Amino acid sequence: MKNRKSFFRIVSIMLVAVLALVGCSSSNDSGNDKEKSSEDQVTVDIFQFKVEIKDQFEDLVKVYEDENPGVKINVKTVGGGNDYGGTLKAAFASGDEPAIFNVGGPSDVEEYRAYLADLADTAAAEAALDGTLTAVQEDAKVLGLPFNQEGYGLIYNKNVFEEAGINVEDIVTFEDLQNVVETLDKQKEELGLDAVFALPAKELWVLGDHISNMFIAPEFNNDIQEAYHAETIALEKGDELKRYLDLQNKYSVQPILSLDYSQQVEQLFSLEKVAMIQQGNWVYNSVYDMDPDFAENGIGILSVPVEGFEGHIPAGVPMFWAVNDKKDDKVVQASKDFLDWLYTSETGKNAVLEDFKFIPAYKDYDAEKISDPLSKQIYEFAEVGKTIEGWVYQATPTGWNQETLGVNIQKYLSGDMEWDEVISKSIEKWEAERQ
Amino acid sequence: MRNRDISFWLFLAPVILSLSLVIMIPFLYGFVYSFTNWNGINATEFLGFKNYINLFKDAEFRASIWFTTKFAIVSVILLNFLGLGLALLVTQRMRTSNFMRTIFFMPNLIGGLILGFIWQFIFISVFGSIGELLGIEALTGWLSTTATGFWGLVILTSWQMAGYIMVIYIAYLENIPKDLLEAAEIDGASSFQKFKNIIFPLVAPAFTVSMFLTLSNSFQIYDQNLSLTNGGPYNSTQMVAMSIVKTAFTENKMAYAQSQAVIFFIIVAAVAVTNVYYNKKREVDM
Repeated sequence: MKNRKSFFRIVSIMLVAVLALVGCSSSNDSGNDKEKSSEDQVTVDIFQFKVEIKDQFEDLVKVYEDENPGVKINVKTVGGGNDYGGTLKAAFASGDEPAIFNVGGPSDVEEYRAYLADLADTAAAEAALDGTLTAVQEDAKVLGLPFNQEGYGLIYNKNVFEEAGINVEDIVTFEDLQNVVETLDKQKEELGLDAVFALPAKELWVLGDHISNMFIAPEFNNDIQEAYHAETIALEKGDELKRYLDLQNKYSVQPILSLDYSQQVEQLFSLEKVAMIQQGNWVYNSVYDMDPDFAENGIGILSVPVEGFEGHIPAGVPMFWAVNDKKDDKVVQASKDFLDWLYTSETGKNAVLEDFKFIPAYKDYDAEKISDPLSKQIYEFAEVGKTIEGWVYQATPTGWNQETLGVNIQKYLSGDMEWDEVISKSIEKWEAERQ
Repeated sequence: MRNRDISFWLFLAPVILSLSLVIMIPFLYGFVYSFTNWNGINATEFLGFKNYINLFKDAEFRASIWFTTKFAIVSVILLNFLGLGLALLVTQRMRTSNFMRTIFFMPNLIGGLILGFIWQFIFISVFGSIGELLGIEALTGWLSTTATGFWGLVILTSWQMAGYIMVIYIAYLENIPKDLLEAAEIDGASSFQKFKNIIFPLVAPAFTVSMFLTLSNSFQIYDQNLSLTNGGPYNSTQMVAMSIVKTAFTENKMAYAQSQAVIFFIIVAAVAVTNVYYNKKREVDM
């Protein structure tokens, strides 16, 4: 009898434990979907990569939700190219797939093809500027919508240049740049500078993606698709790349290998400790947060001298919005509607220009409203056709730019690898990956 | 052990169930995947041992194993040394000993990511400024070379975990019978003799426990590695866990990363089991 009593006690304890487990797990699923969908509520999960616009984007989403009571939008932001790709993959692998997510170019498209909805019928795809869709176009299908345009180059401190008596118009060729850098270096005491450059060699995306891209893209005629199908790479402009890296390294704040993006932009450039940094228009918000006056009046962008492309700025579409085709039809439609609204409605357009400070990749925008000087300048470069298009690092073998080329460049900068080896090892890896 | 009736298994059931759901089954899945070309979304081909064969040719993976091993050896020694030292310190009759216990244990409560960023600031900015001020070259440029990255990681983990190990040693130290120590004192033993002949043998079980903990912990470090150096410069301070994550997500080779993980599991399990086996043998029974 006694045994029996304790047996029942055990069983009842176990039952409670199991119930608790089951109770926890099921509350997520049944709660949202079944009850709310009966009231025509649609939930759209957005997973986006641009940390710079996180708050502004969330505010805009609230406006949309107010205008469309039936739609609930959840925004999740994970920043930095590298982290985003990994987190997105993890989200898909775990079955927690977002309805709207970002893809970078042909490699990403290939990987997520089964999930990508055709967006050719959206108003936004209609309005996209010529050439901004090539990376995600397949026959008549449009598998993504451009985020914005971005451009990068050497961002310089106007005040310092003025004080040193340098006219930016004069900087065209590499030799010009070299002379200017030497002039600045001689006067760095009087100008209050730590060094001329801040080269964030800790960031593989700066070395492997941005710097390298300028010297790789011309080899593929600035065409993403061509790079994506290339069996090999010659790194024809390798010497130019080396020359440019050496210049930045020599005149940079040291040690470069532990220098990261935030130190470069916030600590060094915004506080006017360096004269030039190689970055893009996305730094504007960070500089603005540190020193609004400097951001508005004190900075400009210069083109990096690449032989044959002097005076050109690399500009292109960094990322695309993709809609998850495997979601419910209603969710897919709601996602498309939201993206259309974002890029073609008046409210959306204003936000894109004024709050996100984007350089639009769509027609019918009022260029006068581009509020920050860097974007405006890049837009001007684009207007006169002085851009290097094709961000081919989105089309190289996965991970090649950062994990192979970027890492090898780091080895070179720290003196552990000869430049010849950087070139040959990087080519080898490309060929091995494309077999 | 004797009466494994139904209630025994019923008691065990919830644990076995959850353990197999979150550990055993994923582990077996992963093991199977390591023989395929799984890319995270689907697997189309069965490759046999190809992933494992490639693994042995992979210099970067070997480098990360070697780096992790070096790190583990140094930090196991340092952590046990520090842990025992701190424990001896705070078990002295002092007014501040309780306060000090709290202080020493505190770093353990901060997450590894945050710790990494805090120490990154200390190594780069604080060390850098001090080095510049005093003209000490060695203090500038931390984390920009492999050696400073290595020692940065060692300092960070020692600082974080020493307090935890201390707690384990304290528990054993306080269990040492007072009469033994008293008897030794009457016989005229010096403090070093007391430590060598009484205290050290009697805290040996603590050594087993904390050596196992520190060993398995230093092998599996990821978050501190990520936030402090992110593997840089040029992936030379990349530990195995980080190498696996990078292979899987950045290079998009899920199955290959899975085979790395299997090898890693075998290494850690072998090291941990041997270590416990030998330490157990050494222990003195009272």
